[in-house]
Amino acid sequence: MIWHIATREIYENLNSLRFGLTLLLLLALMLTNAVTHLREHPKRMQKYHDAITNTRNALTARADNLYTLAQKGPGNFYKTPSPLHFCAEGGEAFIPDVVRGESHSWRRGALKSFWRLHYPSVRPNLANIRPEVTKVDWGFIVGYVLSLTALLFTFDAIAGERESGTLRLMLANAIPRHAVLLGKFLGALISLLIPFTLATLMNLLVISTSRSVQLTAGEWGRLGIIFIIAILYVCLFLALGLLVSARMQRSAVSLVILLLAWVTFVVFMPSTLATIVRGFSSPMSRAEFQERRGQLDTALKEQYREYIRIRNTKRYAVLQEQGAYVTKDAQQHERLNRERLAQEIQQVKEARAIIRISPVALVQHLMETFAGTGFERHLQFLENVQPYARQFREFIIENDGHDAESLHLIGVPTGMSQRKVEPAAMPRFKDTRSLNRDFNTAAVDLLLLVLLFIALMSGAYLAFVRAEI
Amino acid sequence: MLTTLIRRELLDNLMTFRFAAALLVMLLLVVANTAVLINDYERRLGDYNTAVKTNRQELQKKKMYADGEIVLNRPPNPLSIFNVGLDKRLGNELWLMYNTVPTLWEAGMNGSDNPLLNLFSAIDLGFIFEVVLSLIALMFAYDALAGERERGTLRLVLTNSVSRGHLLLAKYISAMTCLLVPVVMSLLFALILLTTSAAISLRADDFLRIGGIFLASIAYLSVFYLIGLLISAITHRTSTALMLAMFVWGFLVLVYPNMMLATLETSDIPQERAASALNHIKQIWEEFDRERQRFLAADAFPGEDSKFNIKGYWGYAVESYYQNRLTLFNIYDRTLAFDEIDEEYQPAVPHVQNYHRFLIPLTIQTADRTWLIRKEALVDTLVRQANLKRTLLKLSPLGVYDAATQAWAGTNLLGIRDFFDAARQYRQTVITYYEDKDAFGAREWFLADKSAADWSTLPQFSFERRSVEINAKRALPDMMLLLMISLVLFMAIFLIFVRSEV
Repeated sequence: MIWHIATREIYENLNSLRFGLTLLLLLALMLTNAVTHLREHPKRMQKYHDAITNTRNALTARADNLYTLAQKGPGNFYKTPSPLHFCAEGGEAFIPDVVRGESHSWRRGALKSFWRLHYPSVRPNLANIRPEVTKVDWGFIVGYVLSLTALLFTFDAIAGERESGTLRLMLANAIPRHAVLLGKFLGALISLLIPFTLATLMNLLVISTSRSVQLTAGEWGRLGIIFIIAILYVCLFLALGLLVSARMQRSAVSLVILLLAWVTFVVFMPSTLATIVRGFSSPMSRAEFQERRGQLDTALKEQYREYIRIRNTKRYAVLQEQGAYVTKDAQQHERLNRERLAQEIQQVKEARAIIRISPVALVQHLMETFAGTGFERHLQFLENVQPYARQFREFIIENDGHDAESLHLIGVPTGMSQRKVEPAAMPRFKDTRSLNRDFNTAAVDLLLLVLLFIALMSGAYLAFVRAEI
Repeated sequence: MLTTLIRRELLDNLMTFRFAAALLVMLLLVVANTAVLINDYERRLGDYNTAVKTNRQELQKKKMYADGEIVLNRPPNPLSIFNVGLDKRLGNELWLMYNTVPTLWEAGMNGSDNPLLNLFSAIDLGFIFEVVLSLIALMFAYDALAGERERGTLRLVLTNSVSRGHLLLAKYISAMTCLLVPVVMSLLFALILLTTSAAISLRADDFLRIGGIFLASIAYLSVFYLIGLLISAITHRTSTALMLAMFVWGFLVLVYPNMMLATLETSDIPQERAASALNHIKQIWEEFDRERQRFLAADAFPGEDSKFNIKGYWGYAVESYYQNRLTLFNIYDRTLAFDEIDEEYQPAVPHVQNYHRFLIPLTIQTADRTWLIRKEALVDTLVRQANLKRTLLKLSPLGVYDAATQAWAGTNLLGIRDFFDAARQYRQTVITYYEDKDAFGAREWFLADKSAADWSTLPQFSFERRSVEINAKRALPDMMLLLMISLVLFMAIFLIFVRSEV
């Protein structure tokens, strides 16, 4: 019975204007998306490869001498661009794709500052006078366009039939109401999925036939997950449409409510809430950061004043203190950098948690997570960098330990091994992503999405069951 | 007759649910966002005031003219609440130097902002108007003709001796009157909030500018209402009209701007043009260098180079030439600044002074010459591309409205460039001030051992937004465009409606 109603709906929809227009719109958007990706992605990859080649060459050059390597550090870390960038752009222009692991280069006598991690920020807009708009990624197509069409497919599902009197006719037969509702839901879902699937397939076809973008099996799996998320999100809006449609006597009224709700929740809610929430916490400002850095420097210099100018006597104790000074200097700067970064991240995290009230934010976060772009991906990248930094330092100490001539005083040129390091033996930075972790991060969003859907669907059911015809 | 029709339509529209809902949503969105935006503006203003104060204090501490960094800060525009445009995006802190002419591409960002917050899109009242007003206008228009045709009332009305033109006009006037209510009310609420805020002091001309934004909003509303009416005139059923209207809205407001920019998003700038300009600039600097070498050769001080081998305390000597391929920035940086120098270098001081008296005016002159080339090249490489995109955005009424409100608010590119024009003018003032005091040739230019630089008589920089007439002039083309679209649409509807069967 449900299926019967669904097929009737589908036939009706297939012949309608909205179906044609949706198909046209989605095809155009997905084509734009694919073409843009094919144009931009090779450039991104080229930039990334050039950058890591440069870093690797610099690192090999430093490996001639263990002290130089220990002082100059492992160089820059770059985030691997995601081949699924077309699914969710994730505001990557505003997220740095590099962490610098380099020396701050002060020099006092023979002493040189040691490397520390610092996290540059990007401000791509400073010189950008071009008009700024959202990128056409799947997140935009699904989040905005598809949700709007979902409402346009359901606003009159029940109210329209009520107006024309066919609802009474249908319920006069022995059809349970839930069957009508589910039939309507399935009908709308399938007639919306047809254009969406077609457009998606065309998009993927264009992308996969190109030689410049290669997708692995894992990435196809992620695409599958993203597609399922998109369907779930569409279901949400279909349920909302049915709910309002069941409550309202006239389809025009139902549409007005739906559109205004859509505009409020989808278009305005994320940015308004984000602007409100950002006021709740204030991370360290640039001036404050510089002031604290200065204080730390002064305090440390005060503590080691005796030792930081190199003495003629190469007494062991002096060298020891000097080594401690250099190491502490690098450590405390790295800690300060990390603290500032953590505060900035915290502020963004708070804002992202709050804007989840808007379903479009939910779906965009989910898509970002599975596409491996955006903010969560950046956090993962940072999580990859920090253990590597530790590993690199341990590697230096261990290698220094192997040299019998060395005094094993990390931080001072005369106290350390000057031997050559085998470049192949150095630990290599790997920017790994794991689907497990992505699922963990996404779990809350995913559950919220499902919860919202269930709530709306049961709301629609209750409204329809209790409605008078 | 017309008044009867208008009254009928007016009552029809005012009593509807959509009117109440639209009013409510509009007010809610505008009030909530105005409060948020005022807060944001106050924070930016606070940052600006702190920056100005710190920079002034820092300058007072400098003992040498060469070392003195004059930093100019761009105040946030209070009308950015209506349309933020480029006001928040582009740099707001400029370092004024005698050896290069400043542009917006060298400006940095001052503020306590977390750069990661750029992840969240900024919002302004203009955006709310763009999205909500167009939607409301279409919702009022889609059944204006198709609905009456369906119900048969259209035939009824036309059996009276009502001309079709009158009927259309009545519908247009009454719907626009209804639609004005949410616009006026939300703008009034926004103004009330604005005037109660302590940090924002709106001047008389600001109210004129807001008036301009109001006019632009009406024109925008009219365009979308007429688009809806056109759809209503060509369709026979309201449901078709509604679908068509919604998809047209989705396309014009949501899809077109993003899709157009995505297809055009080529970050390549015309490389040859940039390269030839850079080459030209480099030649000018080489010419400058030759002249400098000639001067040094003619000078009688033995064993010298351009730094005169001076070593001192608490200071530095820099000599470098730098250029940026993308923004065509070029600078010859030659700074010698010491608190004290050793006694053995004292005899060189008059020579250095003499050299500076020659070199710095020449550097300024050369920098001004390269600026002439750079100015044109920047227009060709960066500005023209951005303007092309803006023009293409105007194929959707949304783009026209956005451009018009930005022009009124003074947050478009021209408005921001006014600040940099003022900064360039101020640079001339400072240079004239230096010349008048013969600061270039003074000992204090680079050496603070006898007496320190005196900053007290330095002319202060202040930036005033351009007058409201300039805003009006900049907004006029877009306003005209909106009116013209309205007129064309109205004529089209009239022709279609007159010929159509009822």
